[in-house]
Amino acid sequence: MKQSLKLFSLIVALFFVAGSAAAQDGATILAGAELTRVVPSSFYFQGLSAPTQMRNAAAARFGKDRYVISGLVDTSGYSADVRAKYVGFLITDSAITLNGESLPAGAYGFGFATEGKMTVMDLGGKDLLSVAVTNDKALRRPRPLMMSADPGGVRLYNGKDYVVIAAK
Amino acid sequence: MRSRLIVFVSFSVLLSFAPLAQTPPQKPQQPSGGASTGPAVTYTSRRTVGITDPNAPVVFEDVTDKTALANFRHHSGEAAKDYIFETTSGGVAIFDYDGDGRPDIYVVNGSTIGAMRGKEKAPRAALYHNLGNWKFEDVTDKAGVANERWGFGVAVGDYNNDGRPDMFVSNFGVSRLYRNNGDGTFTDVAEKVGVARKGWSTGATWGDYDGDGRLDLFVPGYVHIDLDHLPPSPSDVNKSGVGQNFCQFRGVPVMCGPRGLPGEGDTLYHQKADGTFEDVSVKAGVSDPEKFYGFTSAFVHVDDDKLLDLIVVNDSTPKQLYMNKGDGTFEEIGYPSGIALNENGREQAGMGLAVGDYDNDGRVDFHITNFSDDSNVLYHNDGDRNFTDVTFQVGLGEVSIPFLGWGTSFIDYDNDGWLDLFVVNGHVYPAADTHQWGTSYAQQALLFRNVKGKFERVGAPPGNALANAWPGRGLAVGDLDGDGRLDLVINNLDSKPVVLRNVAAPSGHWLGLRLVGDVAKQCPRDAIGSIAYLTTGNLRQRQDVVSGAVYCSQNDMTLHFGLGAATKVDKLEIRWSDGSVETFDVPAIDRVVTITEGKGR
Repeated sequence: MKQSLKLFSLIVALFFVAGSAAAQDGATILAGAELTRVVPSSFYFQGLSAPTQMRNAAAARFGKDRYVISGLVDTSGYSADVRAKYVGFLITDSAITLNGESLPAGAYGFGFATEGKMTVMDLGGKDLLSVAVTNDKALRRPRPLMMSADPGGVRLYNGKDYVVIAAK
Repeated sequence: MRSRLIVFVSFSVLLSFAPLAQTPPQKPQQPSGGASTGPAVTYTSRRTVGITDPNAPVVFEDVTDKTALANFRHHSGEAAKDYIFETTSGGVAIFDYDGDGRPDIYVVNGSTIGAMRGKEKAPRAALYHNLGNWKFEDVTDKAGVANERWGFGVAVGDYNNDGRPDMFVSNFGVSRLYRNNGDGTFTDVAEKVGVARKGWSTGATWGDYDGDGRLDLFVPGYVHIDLDHLPPSPSDVNKSGVGQNFCQFRGVPVMCGPRGLPGEGDTLYHQKADGTFEDVSVKAGVSDPEKFYGFTSAFVHVDDDKLLDLIVVNDSTPKQLYMNKGDGTFEEIGYPSGIALNENGREQAGMGLAVGDYDNDGRVDFHITNFSDDSNVLYHNDGDRNFTDVTFQVGLGEVSIPFLGWGTSFIDYDNDGWLDLFVVNGHVYPAADTHQWGTSYAQQALLFRNVKGKFERVGAPPGNALANAWPGRGLAVGDLDGDGRLDLVINNLDSKPVVLRNVAAPSGHWLGLRLVGDVAKQCPRDAIGSIAYLTTGNLRQRQDVVSGAVYCSQNDMTLHFGLGAATKVDKLEIRWSDGSVETFDVPAIDRVVTITEGKGR
């Protein structure tokens, strides 16, 4: 029984170490020219292309060549009901998870119409998935949108709220 | 296997953060998406008009109708407010243009599209000479300062060090620099000296950023507007091709902007030895290449070095804090300093700026006004180029949310030695009066009393000036009657201005300081950028000589210290703009004294 317990603990420890190493190796937050090269200057959603707020854009690379890109857009051209649900875009060129929820490769809109939730929509504005955000009260200098490293992938922050994006 | 790993790790992370996630929020829910204007809420009452308190003290008396300012009418476009440039004018200045010891008043006026196209007479700005005893004489024609362009801001500075204050008037169109001729007249020398900025100029500031003893000029740019290609107006809403692209507020068609309209960069003019100016914006690193919507600026010492720094308040975009590197360039530290955003990481619709050391810790702090459905924000200067948003901790958060703030200024209205706060408000959308948004077009001003670093709203007695609602914009502070209590002038959109006489009682002792710099020591004569530290007992106060700030406006540059019960000044220390420090004896209080560089110890 004792030996089984030891073996189980060892497996769990190896499992965690392997996982951490994979995450550390896997995600790179892009900056400077690398960032501006991948972020689109505007984004189509529900009948309009709106300019990206480049100061509020972020991207990460998983592994060698898998990218996740996100940015807030200038929604001033949208009607009030669209503005209420849509604030930015999420582009991924491979399958990812958002707080563990699967999201296939594609381009999406997102917003925070429901308190404490991030909702991902298709380009026609149809809800695809909704995940709970975590509030990072300790974050000292929050930004409207940014990414930072997380043991499980990358955190996509909106202010002090974040979700975890992981490569699948 | 890979997904199992990630699920496991993600679950661990979520578990580790679970207690934080369950902590209830301490403040009102902030909207998401970057900007900080709140979600649509239907209110059954307006929270910005008719709020009175029968037990509140009488602090200000409206004396406008006893003065010549009652004849002034601000005029900015049409009442429908179809375009953004019709909604944000204008500033006001209190300054002693003729050196008679009594502060005078300059009121900026707007204009109309017809006037801009030469089809109708342009509204006129006005200069009022203070004759004493609340008598003012309109001397606009004699002085030659009617402007007759679409005016927004005024910043005062003695740019040619001749001892007479000059005025930069920022316009939509071409701005003016009114040089004070010393005989009651002014001459527009903007073209001649190279500061005739075109475009939409707003809240400018004078300051000697390079320490050569000559004032330089910074001018923010707001939105790029082409009168021949105007953005859609609310009356265009039913035209084909406009549709849902149209600009709305809570589903109601309103004037467009600033979001969705192109912004303008900012301009820094360096004054050369021959009295002309050169545009050094790009070289200095303050050109604002992202073209944020600039509204108000101020040169001020943010840290303890001898170099004058610069803050720029932008509408709907991050604020900028430029630290002077001492080599003619600046480093922008808005994000790392905490100034760019509010504490939740949201961009705000910054309008006005109050500069002052509200907690008497020796460092300058900033209060900034914002749009309705968002709070104004107070940044406490922690030192080491760090600021903390303390708005809600000090009592300035919740109360300001329904208001759309403009001019803001620290003012020790009761002379107790602690800087109080006055904020002017008014909405940009006339539709605010016809929808249940919980706000209104004309709004009451807000007065807050500073109780050792915490703020309490001072109520408005029924029938008193503070119970009135105005479409306020500009604000200027100065002791207009020389009684030692600071008075106010408010410039109201499409209305007459308001002159508020301070009648607060009891009121503490006070001291006014007029600083005169030594040009030979590379300090501008009007001492802009200098700091006075005044000690009474255990209290050490700081006042800065600042040009601009407030909202496109200019406070009287006479530094005013409330002394409370103290009957003497224990120490007066001046840190001049050139970096030298002197101590002065103050033999008597309850008066204005002139402090000249080189005459101290």
